[in-house]
Amino acid sequence: MKNILILSLFTLREALSKKVFLFFIGISLLFLLVLAIIFSLIKTDSLLAFVNPAEEMVILQELLLHLRLIILSPIANLCLLLAIFSTAGFVPAMLEKGTIDLYLSKPISRAQLIIGKYLGAVLTVLINISFIIIGIWIIIAIKFGSWDPSFLWAVFTITFTFAVLYSIIILFNVITRGSIAGMMLAYFTFLILGPVLYEAKKRFGVLIESDFWRGVIDVFYYIFPKTTELMGLITVQLSSGKGIDEIQPVLTSFLFLILMVGLAIMVFRKKDF
Amino acid sequence: MAIIEINNISKTFVSSFGKKKVEALVNLTLSVEAGTIFGLLGPNGAGKTTLIKILLGITFPTNGDAMILGSRLSNFHLKERIGYLPENHRFPAYLTGGEVLNLFGRLSGLDGITLNKKADELLETVNLAAWKKTKIKNYSKGMMQRLGLAQAMINDPDIIFLDEPTDGVDPLGRKEIRDLLISLKNQGKTIFLNSHLLSEVEMISDSVGILNKGKLVKESSVYDLTESKEEYQLSVEGAHTIPYLSTQINKIDEETFNVKVSGLDELNKIIDELRKSGVLIRELKPLKTTLEDMFISIIKDSEGNKK
Repeated sequence: MKNILILSLFTLREALSKKVFLFFIGISLLFLLVLAIIFSLIKTDSLLAFVNPAEEMVILQELLLHLRLIILSPIANLCLLLAIFSTAGFVPAMLEKGTIDLYLSKPISRAQLIIGKYLGAVLTVLINISFIIIGIWIIIAIKFGSWDPSFLWAVFTITFTFAVLYSIIILFNVITRGSIAGMMLAYFTFLILGPVLYEAKKRFGVLIESDFWRGVIDVFYYIFPKTTELMGLITVQLSSGKGIDEIQPVLTSFLFLILMVGLAIMVFRKKDF
Repeated sequence: MAIIEINNISKTFVSSFGKKKVEALVNLTLSVEAGTIFGLLGPNGAGKTTLIKILLGITFPTNGDAMILGSRLSNFHLKERIGYLPENHRFPAYLTGGEVLNLFGRLSGLDGITLNKKADELLETVNLAAWKKTKIKNYSKGMMQRLGLAQAMINDPDIIFLDEPTDGVDPLGRKEIRDLLISLKNQGKTIFLNSHLLSEVEMISDSVGILNKGKLVKESSVYDLTESKEEYQLSVEGAHTIPYLSTQINKIDEETFNVKVSGLDELNKIIDELRKSGVLIRELKPLKTTLEDMFISIIKDSEGNKK
């Protein structure tokens, strides 16, 4: 456990030394600054001028909910894309000739190496996501006086989605010793496979008459991670203070994550360097 | 007592589609005594680095097994007592020298004050104390090598594997490294050294193994390999007056001869004969076989045997 913690913290240290993370923080700061300036120009009184005073609080809450979600959706997707790009190289850097020899010569198991690097990347992304989400939350709270913490759930749903996608990256990092294949597959899963399977299962599934094809879609849908639900419905429900309707996307995605990390460890344990 | 015992280890590398097979090691059996410096020699591609990597669990053998400090290689806790400096090692460039020792020291199980003290002590030993807080991307190759050596010693190991430890180090630095290795040996450590600098291996090693194309072609003490074979080189003036003695004198050039004798008595008899004949002896020196001579001859022999 101690070894995993050491590796995770040094992975975080590695991330901080990379310019892409400084870029991430810089962009986040710029975004928060622009948001703060825009909000300072909006007068809350004029927004609610035509509203019945009795309904003012309800409408304000509704307005805030939509406002948060409008801001959250593009930011969450952008953060995820950037997080994949900036962490895809962590494991290949460790697997480089001359570096991996040093790690493997120490009293640390190969499983601990993979888990340590994995958790280090997730921790890094958690910090970055927290920075921007908490920033947005504080600006909105200061402006509108609403300190509802539900919005902060977004930190966990986005980080969890990243963790699931990063498990694909880490498996292909170990297989190919490079970052490209894993990164491409993570983008493919997030941008194409996830949405296609979601649409096929939830919207068009009823239109398919053949039991066989419905079964095929079901198998694919349940095997692959549900990034569309995680980043969409589940993030919206949790960050607006409602409970989630369905836990299945979280559970099956988590099982997928365990499977991918497990496979990565299995492959890594048999590899010659 | 053997601290490293290698039994019939073979390693075959197979290309991705199984079309090409390379036998990096073939049924290699070898043992290294505790508290000695063992030099593993061989031409490029002989399998030296592969052998070290197998012993450290970085590469897996195709066949065979080995025991280090009485434990099997699969036991990774064994590495708590081992240090390793890989060839062309690459430390994470964003770290400083002190942080490198901190990272690898912590992964070796050290912590807190003990680790800090040990790191400072080692940086002092390898003359990098002033560079402790400098990022290693600013280090020269020689400095990286010295830092690598400090990293290999951070856990105060019983066995240290060094793959080309003096690579890129200037002559003064090489001397310091040699002195350090001798001092480690005097502390009872065992050093397993891969190097292509034969003169250095000869200077510090107790025994050597010579690998060629994955096979161990010679294992011997350095003394046995390089001991004088009672052969002397004689430089004279007035060579034309040399009497017929026997076939023990071989002419090298007009004034230089190699003399092969069975002992000191015979050598002195030959000198007496020469002096009686009026030959002026300018120089007489024992001929010593260098490790390099032996290495080349052994490699050539092993190549010849194959043909």
